[in-house]
Formats: sequence, structure tokens, C-alpha cells
Amino acid sequence: MNGGEKVIEVKDLTKIYPAAARLFGDGGREKLAVDRVSFNVHRGEIFGLLGPNGAGKTTTIKMLTTLLIPTSGSATVLGLDVTKDPIGLRPRINLVSGGERGLYFRLTGRQNLEFFSDMYRVPRDVKKKKIEDLLELVGLTEAADVRVEEYSRGMKQRLHLARGLVNDPEVLFLDEPTLGLDPEISRETRALIRRLSEKGMTILLTTHYMFEADELCDRLAIISEGRIRAMGSPYSMKEAVRNDSIIEIEARELGEAQRKELVDLPGVSAVSMEFLEGRQLARIVVDDAPSLIPTIAALLENRKVISIRVDQPTLEDAYIKMVNGK
Amino acid sequence: MMDLRAMKAALKQQSIHFFVDPQWVIPSIIAPFIFTTVTLFLFRHAGGDLLLYAVLGGGVLGMWGNTIHSSSWSIGYDRMNGTLEAIMVTPAPLSSVVFGRCLWNSFLGLLNALAVFLVAQFAFGIEITVQNPVGFVIALAATLLSLSVLGMVFGAFYVVTRASSAFFQILEFPIYVLSGAVFPLMVLPEWSRPFSYVIPATWGAEALKISTIPGYDSLGIGYYGALGLTVLTTAAFLLISLSLFTYLEGRAKVNGTLVRY
Repeated sequence: MNGGEKVIEVKDLTKIYPAAARLFGDGGREKLAVDRVSFNVHRGEIFGLLGPNGAGKTTTIKMLTTLLIPTSGSATVLGLDVTKDPIGLRPRINLVSGGERGLYFRLTGRQNLEFFSDMYRVPRDVKKKKIEDLLELVGLTEAADVRVEEYSRGMKQRLHLARGLVNDPEVLFLDEPTLGLDPEISRETRALIRRLSEKGMTILLTTHYMFEADELCDRLAIISEGRIRAMGSPYSMKEAVRNDSIIEIEARELGEAQRKELVDLPGVSAVSMEFLEGRQLARIVVDDAPSLIPTIAALLENRKVISIRVDQPTLEDAYIKMVNGK
Repeated sequence: MMDLRAMKAALKQQSIHFFVDPQWVIPSIIAPFIFTTVTLFLFRHAGGDLLLYAVLGGGVLGMWGNTIHSSSWSIGYDRMNGTLEAIMVTPAPLSSVVFGRCLWNSFLGLLNALAVFLVAQFAFGIEITVQNPVGFVIALAATLLSLSVLGMVFGAFYVVTRASSAFFQILEFPIYVLSGAVFPLMVLPEWSRPFSYVIPATWGAEALKISTIPGYDSLGIGYYGALGLTVLTTAAFLLISLSLFTYLEGRAKVNGTLVRY
């Protein structure tokens, strides 16, 4: 896939949000959201930007879709500069955002699609058929004439996707496309994204779901605090932690203090902590599990440890190591 | 600069919203209707041309009240829905979308004005005869267009800040007065007249009154003079609004304020 035509070329892209102007009080400081990010996406590829909330994923996607003006650096999509030629670019791309908002709730699904088809100047002779086809594609034919306010969360997300396809975009940007969806709808959404990719559409998506990136993306970039920490295929990411092991500890009294103590241990490269109901789950990325288990067990002996086990690293562990590692 | 298809789609969308969302009835129909009825009530003993003056003024107020509320709120509604970015990522100019919506709002204002005439005729017994019907219709169309354009200017500010509505609510009443719709410009202080002269609605209202009230020509410029100035000031405001959209969209894209609500 890496040898194909470059459809998106990003070089040293930076976005600094200026301090907000306030009539009264302090408007805050300017904020560096994206810091010299560079990557390319090839035709037909699904490229993922993976990172935690506030990492700069959405800001990057908004710059590429002409909704934000970069502070510095350059970005071209389909050979068009996103800052200098937004008018030429917009008919050829589309953006789908996750979440409840972004649709006219008082209008029906069909009326929403008609409105956005007109915004893209979809030829009148194909508009009606196109909308029918899209409604069928996303499984909303039955609900086409129902107001969006009566749609379920999953139906809204499917309508978002249909809206993103009204202009047959060559490049589709998906910002957290499965955010807040239940597992069944998420799976259907991912299947739809894959079908679009199989038809040759280039897709750039942001997500903070590891399994989604693993399942969908040909390549991905891990982004944190506005900077790209690693880039490659999901396989190559996992390879980066292939020689590591995971010690997974379930306990009842683990907190941030223990996480810091664990991170500081020699031989530990990263620690992630999940807080469950009445217990905590720590995943510790280590280079040699057998030699570290006694040290870790001694460190946590008063923390009501329920279980300690050794696991194989996943993409999530690679991600944790790259984002939160030492 | 303007995309006719986007304008038409926005007009249609706004009309659907009007019929399915009861909240629009209050600023679009009820509030201007009450305001103009009160105006008629105040002038009910004036008699003759002065009463007709009040009817016309009431009609213009109805159109303006509707425009200021609905048109300026147009982009605020998109901010609230999270659809502002969805529109701005399309090739359609945002100004065309807002203008299409303003046209629908002005059309509603026209219905409002007609309702004022009917109330004047049947509830207050005011006899209305238009001395130049063709001139009246042309002046009415020009006034509606001018109000749409003015609504578009206000709508542009919503692109950059959600705080615009507070500002526009302050602006609503000065324009009632400054446009000369209800009070003749000559009774206003001299220093306020330059403000009146740059408002298209001032000239639109003047053209409407000249075409309706026999012998009326308060500013001494005649029907064509008033109509010409309506067109001229409307064109100026159209240019201002398009420039504002370009400038404010650019600012919002630098500051990242498109999604805040």
C-alpha cells in the first residue's frame, strides 16, 4: 500500500489556538494542539490517527478538511493545498463526525440528505436515486421519512455516514466514527467503512479505540500531545513490543501513587491502569516478566492484590508504551 | 459569490423548520404582530394620512422584527445543532445559505405585514388605498430584499461568536426608530440622521409611504429617489455582508470557534 499515489501529504503541520479574546477576565493562554505533524496517505488506504482525547487528532482532521487554518506547515489533499484551494478541494472530500450533533433534528433523514446534496450540487437527475441508494446502504430506507430527533444513536451515526457520501468523495475523513455506539452498531459501522475502502475510497479516520484501529487501518499514526509518536501498520506497532511481556495485576487498592511507583521500577517501560467497579486492573509493560514479578508483588503487598498473571502484548500495550512510556 | 442552488435549498430548509418547529412562530409571527398592533393602537386617533403612516410603519416593523430574530439566529441554530461545520465543509458559500434563509424570513415578514394591513382595515377600520399599486409592490420587494441583506450582515457575526444574539437584541429597537418607520426622521435629532440614511429600510419605508400616501415626500427625493437609495444601500450592505462572511469565517478558522456553543 505504501507505494501507491499519495493522496494526502502533510508536512510539519502545526496548529496553535490563539488565546481566547474575553471582554472581562483572562482569556487563557494560546494552546499548541498539533506540533509539526508529518505523514502521507496513499490512494485506497485506510489511515488511522490513534490517540487519547485532546491529542490533536480532530484538529489535524479539521485542518485537512479546510475547517481550520494551520499555523504553519503544509498539507495537500488530492494535490490541492488545504489553505490555498479550499474551494477546489471541498467537492472532492467529505467529513463525518461521531456524536449526536451535526444533523438537523427537526428534519427527516431524507430531508437532511437532500439539503446536503444541494450543498454539494449533486446533479438533480441523480440526486433522488443517489439518496435512495445511500439510505439503503446505511439501512435507513424504512426510517427515511421519520424526523431525526426520533432516531436512535446508531441510526443518527448511519445517517452521518450517508451524509458523508452524498458527493461520492474521493477522500473521506471520519472523526471518531463509532464514538458512543453500542458494540453491534460499531461492528456494522466498521463493516461499512471497510466496504467503502474496498471500493477504492481513501479514508482517514481518528479513533481512540485500539481494536478499531487494529481491525480497520492499513497504517496508523499514534498521536499524543500534538505529536506523532509512532507510525506504521498495526502489525509493525505490535512488533515494537514483541519482545516485551505484560504483567497484569488485579487489585482493590491501586491508585495513581502505585502507578508512578511501578513506572519508576527498572525494567518497566509503561503502565496503564483501568479502574473497574471496586477493583483496578494494571497492565505493566516489562522486558522480563519472571524476574520482575517478585519485586512488583513486594511493592503491592498491602494493596489487596487479587491476581497476577503474565500476558502477551497487544496493540493497546504498544500504544500505552508509546504514549505513556518512560 | 452566491450559489443559487444553496440559497434555494436553504430557503426550503428554513420553511420546513418553520412548519415543524413551533418555536419559530413566536419571533416570526406573534412578536411582530403584537408590536405592530400596539403601534396601530397608539395611533388610532391620529386619523388620515398619519394613521396610514402608522400602518405602513407597523408593516415595516413587523418585517424587521422577523428578520432580526430569525436571520441573525440562523447561524446560531447551526452552532447549537453542530451543523455549522457540516455546512462549511461543503463547497456552498455560507453566505448563500444564510441569504436563502433570510429570504424565507422576509417572506414571513411579508405575510406579517399583510396581517397588519388586515388588522388595520378590519379591527381599526382604517381605510387603505394605495395610490401607486405597482410602485408599492416594487418598493415592498426592495424593502424585503434590503431587510434580508441586513439580516445577513447580522447573521455573519454568529460565525465567529455565540454571543451575537445579545448584541442584536440591543440593535432591534434603534432601527425601529432610526428607519423612520414609525416616527418621521425629521422629528429625530440631527446627529442621528446619518445613521438613518445608511439603513436600507429607511429608504424602503420612504418609497412605500410615497407610493401609498397622497402627496407624501418627507425627504424631498421622490419615489424613484427613495427606491434608488434602497437599492444602493442594499447593494452596499450586500457587499459588506459578503466581505464580513469572508473575514469572519477566516477568523473562526484561525481561532477554532466554529463548534463552540
